[in-house]
Amino acid sequence: MNRVLVVDDEPQIRRALRTSLEAHGYEVQTVGTGEEAVIGAAESAPELMLLDLGLPDLDGTEVIRRVRGFTELPIIVLSVRDAQQDKVAALDAGADDYVTKPFAMEELLARARAAMRRAQPGEPPAPTMRFGRLEMDLGRRLVVLDGETLRLTPTEYQLLEAFATHPGKLLTHQWLLRKVWGQGYGTETTYLRTYVRALRKKLGDDAQAPQLIVTEPGVGYRWIAESTDAES
Amino acid sequence: MVVSEEHEAEGAAKFTLRGTVIGLITPAIATAIAFPLAPARPEISIALFMLAVVIAAVAGGLGAGLIAGILASTIRPLVVEDPQLTFRFDDVEDVATGVVFLSVALIVGLLVGQASEDRARASRREREARFLGTLSSTLHTGEIPDRVLDEFAEVLLEPFALSKVEVEATLDGTELRAISGTDGEPSAGPRTTVPLLAGEASIGRLVAERPDGGRPFSRDDQLLLEAAARQATAALDRARLDARARIAQLDAETNQLRAAMFSSVTHDLRTPLASIKAGVTSLLDAAVHHDPEQERELLTTILEETDRLNRLVGNLLDLARIRAGALTPTRQQAAMDEIVEVVLARMRPRLVRHTVAADLPSDLPDVSVDPVQLDQVLTNLLENAGRHAPEGSEIRVSVQWIRDAVQVRIADQGPGIPMDEHERVFEAFYRGSSSPETPGSGLGLAISKAVVVAHGGRIWIESGPDGGCVVAFEIPGEEVAP
Repeated sequence: MNRVLVVDDEPQIRRALRTSLEAHGYEVQTVGTGEEAVIGAAESAPELMLLDLGLPDLDGTEVIRRVRGFTELPIIVLSVRDAQQDKVAALDAGADDYVTKPFAMEELLARARAAMRRAQPGEPPAPTMRFGRLEMDLGRRLVVLDGETLRLTPTEYQLLEAFATHPGKLLTHQWLLRKVWGQGYGTETTYLRTYVRALRKKLGDDAQAPQLIVTEPGVGYRWIAESTDAES
Repeated sequence: MVVSEEHEAEGAAKFTLRGTVIGLITPAIATAIAFPLAPARPEISIALFMLAVVIAAVAGGLGAGLIAGILASTIRPLVVEDPQLTFRFDDVEDVATGVVFLSVALIVGLLVGQASEDRARASRREREARFLGTLSSTLHTGEIPDRVLDEFAEVLLEPFALSKVEVEATLDGTELRAISGTDGEPSAGPRTTVPLLAGEASIGRLVAERPDGGRPFSRDDQLLLEAAARQATAALDRARLDARARIAQLDAETNQLRAAMFSSVTHDLRTPLASIKAGVTSLLDAAVHHDPEQERELLTTILEETDRLNRLVGNLLDLARIRAGALTPTRQQAAMDEIVEVVLARMRPRLVRHTVAADLPSDLPDVSVDPVQLDQVLTNLLENAGRHAPEGSEIRVSVQWIRDAVQVRIADQGPGIPMDEHERVFEAFYRGSSSPETPGSGLGLAISKAVVVAHGGRIWIESGPDGGCVVAFEIPGEEVAP
């Protein structure tokens, strides 16, 4: 059974999350402070942490940093709408995703599933992937859309690979820039935007009704396409 | 405009330099003309000298006339009767002529002096009237009392050739004071004090000073200053009443706004809470059996109302932030079309009853904005459009780059907004007169405006080309190559 550590100082939220998560078959441990969160992450080895950023003792970002010191367990941040900078800081500190309060339970569960799936050990990235009409062969660096081979520039390909190998994960501007352009980058969001736009166009994805790449303004992008079995 | 200038008292015989010269020259000319003619026609010489006296009196006033008269009566007998220029001043006829000359000089001189004084007085009265008229329009513009006093002190300086004006007045227990002209050490120049009278009571005073060595204040100056002071008092009184009326109006508006705010917020907060509580208690009631469809309906209501409450709370928080002056954008380089795209993607389910068209060029320069705040502006504007435009109509969103600014326009085909409300709709809690029942807290546009202004931009309403309304906003940016 999957164990989830819920960190929130509000008893009502803890109760609501415990009830909903238990109803979905998760084993739930709830704590109310940052210190307890770090201890809980170390001692009970949960498979997922749901972390509220506004804790009474430690800053949420600090909790992430401490936890990241010893485990790669998926962390989903729960935060209120206005703390945009906190969200980005939390993601850059190592959080996997964030959900804005108030949230719909189904959305939280979907994010939780995606995060835990990504974290599953012993699953090397498949050499070929399929997302509906889109096929990718990572070994041969080949991208096929509707049976037609796409001509992508090297940067576009690297960007697509970064997205496709992290399905469902919210990738920050900084993370994507470093991954695709290199360590010296991090603030050149205009480059990133230009390439995302070009990639969307080539992949036939409409930003107003996205099927592949979703924009999170001021934060980054998320690849939302579900991987379909390449064999089928 | 100068109303106070020196002028001579031309009624009395005054021997100015100009008058003396004229009085000497005119008989001399007459002598020159009469000399060759005189022996043959003595009567012509009388006429000539008479003419000289009249001309002197007209041109130079009484003094000149008298000089010319004396001169003429002395010279004429010599010219006429003694070309050898021997004095022989005993003839009765000569004496009589002399008396006539002097009488003519006196009469003409006096008449001319009178006329010129009348003329001078008339033109001075005209200048004074014009001055008082200007003063009246300067002071009576519904300004606040302080401004009236300042204007008054300033406007007196030039016409009265003053170096300093000091005005003090007490209005409703408040002491007002205005000083114009050279400030500093008191000059040794002439000065005068005029009371500011409201009816019989003095409400203050005016102290006027001329520069060192300046002309003393004449009676005319004094009278005119008093007239000006009366006008200033009247203007002050009016301004005071205007200010009182304005404050009363402002109070009324603030109270009205506060009342509107409370009733609006109370209503808007309680309504979704009521729905939620009703739904939840119904679901919790063990005695009632709901079929799955009813259950789902109740739960959907609860969900929708929760979202509504969340939006309202967000708006109220923003309003509080605006009031506290804490609406500071966290700026970063962003593409406006991208922000619009995201909002459209999110809003689509709520705008299914409308056709949403977007005109988003992707080659616009980035702008430095707070994406979260801009997202909220767009959400509010689209929500408004969706609320007011009829089902099936088109909502068009366009983004363009106009003169170093990115401009976003949201056009709907709703009932539009009357011209005279184009400004007021941006006030918090204002609801359009044409649609008072439409739901909405009346906060969306106020918050949008605050956000746009915090970004150094502007937001406005236009009437659509075929009805409906366009809400447009502009955020300045620098053109940089992407």
